[in-house]
Amino acid sequence: MENSVLKVGMQVPDFAITCYDPRAHDFTKVALDQLQQDGKWTILFFYPADFTFV
Amino acid sequence: MGAKLITVSTDTEFSHLAWKRDEKELADVQYLMGADPTGRLSRMFGVYDEESGLALRGTFIIAPDGTLFNSEVNFYNMGRNIDELMRKYKANLYLTKKADEGCPSKWKEEGDQTLRPGPEMVGRVHEALKK
Repeated sequence: MENSVLKVGMQVPDFAITCYDPRAHDFTKVALDQLQQDGKWTILFFYPADFTFV
Repeated sequence: MGAKLITVSTDTEFSHLAWKRDEKELADVQYLMGADPTGRLSRMFGVYDEESGLALRGTFIIAPDGTLFNSEVNFYNMGRNIDELMRKYKANLYLTKKADEGCPSKWKEEGDQTLRPGPEMVGRVHEALKK
Protein backbone atom coordinates (compact mmCIF):
# COMPACT_ATOMS: atom_id res chain seq x y z
CA MET A 1 0.00 0.00 0.00
CA GLU A 2 1.45 3.32 -1.03
CA ASN A 3 2.06 5.72 1.88
CA SER A 4 3.43 8.73 0.06
CA VAL A 5 1.74 10.56 -2.78
CA LEU A 6 3.12 9.74 -6.21
CA LYS A 7 5.22 12.37 -7.87
CA VAL A 8 6.34 12.70 -11.47
CA GLY A 9 9.41 10.53 -11.98
CA MET A 10 8.36 7.89 -9.47
CA GLN A 11 7.36 4.33 -10.33
CA VAL A 12 3.62 3.83 -10.14
CA PRO A 13 2.99 0.71 -8.07
CA ASP A 14 0.76 -1.92 -9.64
CA PHE A 15 -2.88 -1.18 -8.84
CA ALA A 16 -6.20 -2.74 -9.79
CA ILE A 17 -9.48 -0.94 -10.31
CA THR A 18 -13.01 -2.13 -11.02
CA CYS A 19 -14.34 -0.58 -14.21
CA TYR A 20 -17.40 -0.40 -16.37
CA ASP A 21 -16.31 -1.33 -19.90
CA PRO A 22 -18.69 0.27 -22.42
CA ARG A 23 -17.37 -1.89 -25.27
CA ALA A 24 -18.20 -5.17 -23.50
CA HIS A 25 -21.14 -3.61 -21.63
CA ASP A 26 -19.79 -5.33 -18.55
CA PHE A 27 -17.85 -4.79 -15.34
CA THR A 28 -14.22 -5.81 -15.20
CA LYS A 29 -11.29 -5.48 -12.81
CA VAL A 30 -8.23 -4.09 -14.52
CA ALA A 31 -4.63 -4.03 -13.28
CA LEU A 32 -1.94 -1.57 -14.35
CA ASP A 33 0.32 -4.29 -15.70
CA GLN A 34 -2.51 -5.62 -17.90
CA LEU A 35 -2.94 -2.17 -19.42
CA GLN A 36 0.77 -1.92 -20.07
CA GLN A 37 0.88 -5.12 -22.08
CA ASP A 38 1.96 -4.38 -25.64
CA GLY A 39 4.05 -1.51 -24.33
CA LYS A 40 1.15 0.93 -24.00
CA TRP A 41 1.04 4.21 -22.17
CA THR A 42 -1.75 4.65 -19.60
CA ILE A 43 -3.67 7.87 -19.06
CA LEU A 44 -5.63 8.20 -15.82
CA PHE A 45 -8.27 10.91 -15.98
CA PHE A 46 -9.81 11.70 -12.56
CA TYR A 47 -13.00 13.74 -12.28
CA PRO A 48 -15.32 14.60 -9.37
CA ALA A 49 -18.66 12.94 -10.15
CA ASP A 50 -20.89 11.27 -12.72
CA PHE A 51 -24.01 13.13 -13.79
CA THR A 52 -22.29 16.49 -13.36
CA PHE A 53 -21.16 18.97 -15.94
CA VAL A 54 -18.01 18.05 -17.78
CA MET B 1 -4.32 6.86 -30.19
CA GLY B 2 -2.37 3.93 -28.80
CA ALA B 3 -2.68 4.75 -25.11
CA LYS B 4 -5.05 3.17 -22.61
CA LEU B 5 -7.36 5.85 -21.26
CA ILE B 6 -9.22 5.22 -18.00
CA THR B 7 -11.48 7.78 -16.41
CA VAL B 8 -11.80 7.53 -12.61
CA SER B 9 -14.25 9.00 -10.11
CA THR B 10 -15.34 7.94 -6.64
CA ASP B 11 -18.67 6.76 -8.07
CA THR B 12 -19.31 3.03 -8.33
CA GLU B 13 -19.18 1.12 -11.59
CA PHE B 14 -22.99 0.95 -11.49
CA SER B 15 -23.21 4.71 -11.61
CA HIS B 16 -20.81 4.73 -14.58
CA LEU B 17 -23.05 2.29 -16.43
CA ALA B 18 -26.16 4.39 -15.75
CA TRP B 19 -24.45 7.64 -16.68
CA LYS B 20 -23.11 6.22 -19.93
CA ARG B 21 -26.57 4.93 -20.76
CA ASP B 22 -28.37 8.22 -20.02
CA GLU B 23 -25.99 10.94 -21.13
CA LYS B 24 -25.97 11.41 -24.88
CA GLU B 25 -22.67 13.30 -24.67
CA LEU B 26 -21.10 9.97 -23.71
CA ALA B 27 -22.65 7.98 -26.57
CA ASP B 28 -19.30 7.42 -28.32
CA VAL B 29 -17.32 6.58 -25.19
CA GLN B 30 -15.21 3.46 -25.59
CA TYR B 31 -12.76 3.89 -22.74
CA LEU B 32 -12.82 2.11 -19.38
CA MET B 33 -14.64 3.98 -16.63
CA GLY B 34 -12.93 3.23 -13.31
CA ALA B 35 -14.69 3.19 -9.95
CA ASP B 36 -12.80 4.37 -6.85
CA PRO B 37 -15.47 4.58 -4.09
CA THR B 38 -12.93 4.06 -1.28
CA GLY B 39 -10.69 6.79 -2.70
CA ARG B 40 -7.68 4.48 -2.63
CA LEU B 41 -6.47 5.24 -6.13
CA SER B 42 -7.36 8.94 -5.84
CA ARG B 43 -5.30 9.21 -2.64
CA MET B 44 -2.38 7.40 -4.30
CA PHE B 45 -2.27 10.15 -6.91
CA GLY B 46 -2.94 12.95 -4.45
CA VAL B 47 -6.31 14.05 -5.86
CA TYR B 48 -8.68 12.84 -3.13
CA ASP B 49 -10.60 15.68 -1.45
CA GLU B 50 -11.17 14.45 2.13
CA GLU B 51 -13.97 16.99 2.73
CA SER B 52 -16.14 16.08 -0.23
CA GLY B 53 -15.11 12.46 -0.86
CA LEU B 54 -14.62 13.36 -4.51
CA ALA B 55 -11.61 13.32 -6.79
CA LEU B 56 -10.15 16.55 -8.15
CA ARG B 57 -9.65 16.93 -11.89
CA GLY B 58 -6.29 15.22 -12.26
CA THR B 59 -4.72 13.75 -15.37
CA PHE B 60 -1.71 11.44 -15.07
CA ILE B 61 0.30 9.94 -17.91
CA ILE B 62 2.13 6.70 -17.08
CA ALA B 63 4.90 5.25 -19.28
CA PRO B 64 4.85 1.56 -20.27
CA ASP B 65 7.58 0.86 -17.67
CA GLY B 66 5.45 2.35 -14.87
CA THR B 67 7.18 5.74 -14.55
CA LEU B 68 4.83 8.67 -13.92
CA PHE B 69 5.68 11.19 -16.65
CA ASN B 70 3.03 13.90 -16.36
CA SER B 71 0.65 15.27 -13.78
CA GLU B 72 -1.97 18.00 -14.11
CA VAL B 73 -4.47 18.79 -11.38
CA ASN B 74 -7.22 21.44 -11.55
CA PHE B 75 -9.81 22.53 -9.01
CA TYR B 76 -13.47 21.62 -9.57
CA ASN B 77 -14.81 24.18 -11.98
CA MET B 78 -12.05 24.14 -14.55
CA GLY B 79 -12.02 21.54 -17.30
CA ARG B 80 -8.86 20.20 -18.86
CA ASN B 81 -7.91 20.91 -22.44
CA ILE B 82 -7.84 17.72 -24.53
CA ASP B 83 -5.53 19.24 -27.17
CA GLU B 84 -3.00 19.83 -24.40
CA LEU B 85 -3.34 16.22 -23.26
CA MET B 86 -2.74 15.02 -26.83
CA ARG B 87 0.27 17.34 -27.13
CA LYS B 88 1.82 15.89 -23.96
CA TYR B 89 1.12 12.31 -24.98
CA LYS B 90 2.60 12.83 -28.47
CA ALA B 91 5.63 14.58 -26.95
CA ASN B 92 6.19 11.60 -24.63
CA LEU B 93 6.06 9.18 -27.57
CA TYR B 94 8.44 11.35 -29.60
CA LEU B 95 10.93 11.79 -26.76
CA THR B 96 11.13 8.06 -26.06
CA LYS B 97 12.48 7.72 -29.60
CA LYS B 98 14.69 10.82 -29.43
CA ALA B 99 16.13 10.94 -25.95
CA ASP B 100 18.68 13.65 -26.80
CA GLU B 101 16.07 16.17 -27.93
CA GLY B 102 13.69 18.46 -26.10
CA CYS B 103 10.19 19.60 -27.08
CA PRO B 104 9.91 23.37 -26.58
CA SER B 105 6.67 25.03 -25.47
CA LYS B 106 5.39 25.61 -29.01
CA TRP B 107 5.91 21.97 -30.04
CA LYS B 108 2.63 20.32 -30.98
CA GLU B 109 3.50 17.24 -33.00
CA GLU B 110 6.27 15.31 -34.70
CA GLY B 111 7.86 17.51 -37.34
CA ASP B 112 7.73 20.65 -35.22
CA GLN B 113 10.99 22.18 -34.12
CA THR B 114 12.85 20.53 -31.26
CA LEU B 115 15.98 21.53 -29.36
CA ARG B 116 19.17 19.57 -28.76
CA PRO B 117 20.32 20.69 -25.33
CA GLY B 118 24.07 21.02 -24.90
CA PRO B 119 26.84 23.45 -23.84
CA GLU B 120 26.59 25.44 -27.11
CA MET B 121 22.97 26.28 -26.35
CA VAL B 122 23.59 27.69 -22.87
CA GLY B 123 22.33 31.31 -22.98
CA ARG B 124 21.63 30.90 -26.72
CA VAL B 125 18.15 29.32 -26.80
CA HIS B 126 16.73 32.36 -28.64
CA GLU B 127 19.14 31.78 -31.55
CA ALA B 128 18.53 28.04 -31.49
CA LEU B 129 14.77 28.51 -31.80
CA LYS B 130 15.22 30.96 -34.68
CA LYS B 131 17.07 28.38 -36.83
